[in-house]
Amino acid sequence: MARRVAVIGAGMTKFVRRAQETGKELSWIAGRAALDNAGISLADVDAVCAGTAPDAFDGVHRKGDYLADGSGAWGKPYIRTFVGGGTGVFVPIQAWYTIASGMADVVLVLAEEKMSSCQPHPQGAFLTIFDNVIERPLGPNLLWIFALEMQRYMQAYGLDKRDIATVAVKNKRNAADHPSALLGQADITVEDVLASEVLAHPVQRLDVSPISDGAVALVMASEEAAAKLTDSPVWVQGVGWNLDSTYWTNRDLAYPEYVENAARMAYDMAGVTEPRKQIHVAEPYDPFDYKELHHLEGLQLFDKGKAPEAAAAGVTARDGDLPVCPSGGLLGVGNPIAAAGLMKIAELFWQLRGEAGARQVPGTPERGVAQAWGDLMQVGTVVVMGTDGGPSTTATRQGTPPIGPRATPLTDEAFRSAAGAVDEPLDLTYEWDTGEAMGAFLEGMRDGRVVATTCAQCERTLVPPRVFCERCFRPTDGWTEVEAVGTVETFSICHVRWDMVALDPPEIPAVIRLDGASSGGFLHKLDEVAPDDVSIGMAVEAVWKPVEERTGSILDIAYFRPRHGGEDR
Amino acid sequence: MSVEPRVGIAGVGWSGFTPTTANVSYKELMFEAARAAYLEAGVNPRTDVDSFVCASEDFEEGTSIFDEYLPDQLGAVQRPVHTVASDGLFALATGVMLIRSEIASVVAVEAHSKASNVVSHGRVARFALDPVLNRPLGVPALAVAGLEMQRYLHASGHTAVDCEDVANRNRAHAASNRRASHAEAPAGADDPLWEPLTVGQTADSVDGCVVIVLAAEDRAGADPVFVQGVGWNQDAPSLESRDWDRAAATARAAEQAYARAGVTPGDIDAAEVDDTYAYKQLQHLDALGLPDLDPARVNRSGGALGEGYLHEGNGLARALACIEQLRAGEASTAVAQSWRGVPSSSAAVAVLTRGGA
Repeated sequence: MARRVAVIGAGMTKFVRRAQETGKELSWIAGRAALDNAGISLADVDAVCAGTAPDAFDGVHRKGDYLADGSGAWGKPYIRTFVGGGTGVFVPIQAWYTIASGMADVVLVLAEEKMSSCQPHPQGAFLTIFDNVIERPLGPNLLWIFALEMQRYMQAYGLDKRDIATVAVKNKRNAADHPSALLGQADITVEDVLASEVLAHPVQRLDVSPISDGAVALVMASEEAAAKLTDSPVWVQGVGWNLDSTYWTNRDLAYPEYVENAARMAYDMAGVTEPRKQIHVAEPYDPFDYKELHHLEGLQLFDKGKAPEAAAAGVTARDGDLPVCPSGGLLGVGNPIAAAGLMKIAELFWQLRGEAGARQVPGTPERGVAQAWGDLMQVGTVVVMGTDGGPSTTATRQGTPPIGPRATPLTDEAFRSAAGAVDEPLDLTYEWDTGEAMGAFLEGMRDGRVVATTCAQCERTLVPPRVFCERCFRPTDGWTEVEAVGTVETFSICHVRWDMVALDPPEIPAVIRLDGASSGGFLHKLDEVAPDDVSIGMAVEAVWKPVEERTGSILDIAYFRPRHGGEDR
Repeated sequence: MSVEPRVGIAGVGWSGFTPTTANVSYKELMFEAARAAYLEAGVNPRTDVDSFVCASEDFEEGTSIFDEYLPDQLGAVQRPVHTVASDGLFALATGVMLIRSEIASVVAVEAHSKASNVVSHGRVARFALDPVLNRPLGVPALAVAGLEMQRYLHASGHTAVDCEDVANRNRAHAASNRRASHAEAPAGADDPLWEPLTVGQTADSVDGCVVIVLAAEDRAGADPVFVQGVGWNQDAPSLESRDWDRAAATARAAEQAYARAGVTPGDIDAAEVDDTYAYKQLQHLDALGLPDLDPARVNRSGGALGEGYLHEGNGLARALACIEQLRAGEASTAVAQSWRGVPSSSAAVAVLTRGGA
């Protein structure tokens, strides 16, 4: 029988745009605060579980090792786990299985992010998240793909951007009550969001969470250890995680199935059969305002496409029927990637103990859910926490929640003038084998053909091709070709580059669903069309480069354009 | 006597272990190993494997957030998958925890190397050095191995000849290992790299993948190899603070693993330990409490010096070799150990057994 596991302490730094502190120092501040909150010392800790997002932020290989001393891990069992943006809610899951398995009784959980080290813009760390053969040559960035997903979500359910913008307003207002918040704003309005700069249509600047530095820590313990250390543990009742296919252009982006899968795993473990009744407070991942809504639906807290109108009606307000992101979320508190996810667990801890101060939701919440998301829009991590009917405490008895002003904001100018500021380009070089499937695909590109593979078991035609069928887990059965014509699955109009430099004219990335490809298609760009004339379902065709200019690359298709005489869908 | 519920090895699979794997992508390399492991375990990953754990580091792959690229070729789409940013033996320890926590009964553990695609290995290693204190000095990260070897020989009484013997013996072992690509000493084996370290005492990279299917005892098949105990540990975070004499993290990890397994060093009759550099084998055997283990029973696979160095897959390669020896009846209690290469100071240990216990 697995052992029960509780959260018994939490701490965090202030989230700031650029911290004077190093990643090690941020980790130490948060870790020390969590240990103090739990009333223990580092010597009481059996193991350390850590999470931090890409090494490219810091330009440090094996960042987990680098952060070890700040994380309190020197001389202890220590593992860094990683599921991209889902990491912050995964680290407590790691701590859960470390304790539940009997490997440790008391675990320090650390999540840290120092995004500001990545210059000229932290988005640069994400330029290499895309497929090295067929996507990176197109120059995609994070705003592209989230705009593509938001567009698809809005189109699938006929959503009103105004309803979505209410999420940004709610969370930034909630964050005004959070002492660690970077972007709390009590007087922001929907009009402010709708009037903000369009970055990549339909994404506007105030739809997006800010880049941030910060760290969050928890102390988690076995039932036996918790009983000795606190009379108000908050129990981990359920955990779930799920990773969808890498081939994101083959998925319907309108609904996050992987979040549903993760939620169902966590709910089953927690005995939650009716989440809309049994969940009293929710902290879904909200790096963009639409994502909070997308995730609430995946978490089974609202029907598909129905979360936006509920948000606009105030259902998810702090004093609504289902308080959502009472912390202020990533949109308000800030988004130091892994730390932001763990901040949500800390918020549930404080809410369920009745220690959230001005952010405290009404009533006596007994159960909450936190969730994070990441990778290529493909991972869901979910934790259900509750008091199990035990006593909640008051801030008075436990002291002020251990959050505050630590972490020192630093201006760019001050950073540049600091002694020892170090610039170093991340100039690593790779030469990737394309492999059998993608090699054939690229050969086909050079010849003006789109090569696919087929699976006889599920009867799909796969583009991009692979030598295995990921659904059936068997070798694919043969080669075929599909025409370089299809329809626009989703699109965006991008007005800025990855480093926020304006683009004029804007570029139009799109996911093209190729005719004859049952799996979907791939990412490319549109041209020979005015941005205002692009629509989902528009018939398009490839425009190939002249034969003599082709090199065996996704760029052998110069772009896609409207297919005159083609049938829009 | 065991002090833990047992986790068995239901299946193993591997691919590559060659200096290059031209025309095969890392996904295809992983698919081949995973298929073999699932076939041997008699499981369908789409329905029978409860959780998947992979070991990788972004800079080794050339892809940020590399865990994005794992599920399809492992049969893990829309399943619980996560990555440990570490060596594969840490992933194996994670798999053991998942089963012991009862959230999974069957777990697939994966680690791989596509080192032939990394052009700038030296620069990747450089980025593991402290950006403020170490990198400005311009000392190659891999030279840390030379510094450590120098100090280790001084402190231990071992000699460069002892290290040369390790390299020669491991390559001789590799001659009978069908996976081994480096049974022959490289050209210029005696040439110095970072003195006192030589070319011949340094393992060469290979591409490859190892997948191990772990299962709760009742799902692991008849007479399986068991993972009897696991341990892992993190030592000093900087060059300036480390203990250059000994492998402290390995010693602590071994203590944890032995206690969990209910064994002492005297019970161990085979060891597959990290030998990225020949001196590390000696240092690791010291830390494991096995300095006097019959050399014929150490790295019988040839180790990384003979098989080739699989980077973050090296720990699973060592575990795979232990499993094969236990299955062949060549040992009854084996220890697999990994270290993550310079400049790291973390280590993992697994005790594997078959029969009895």
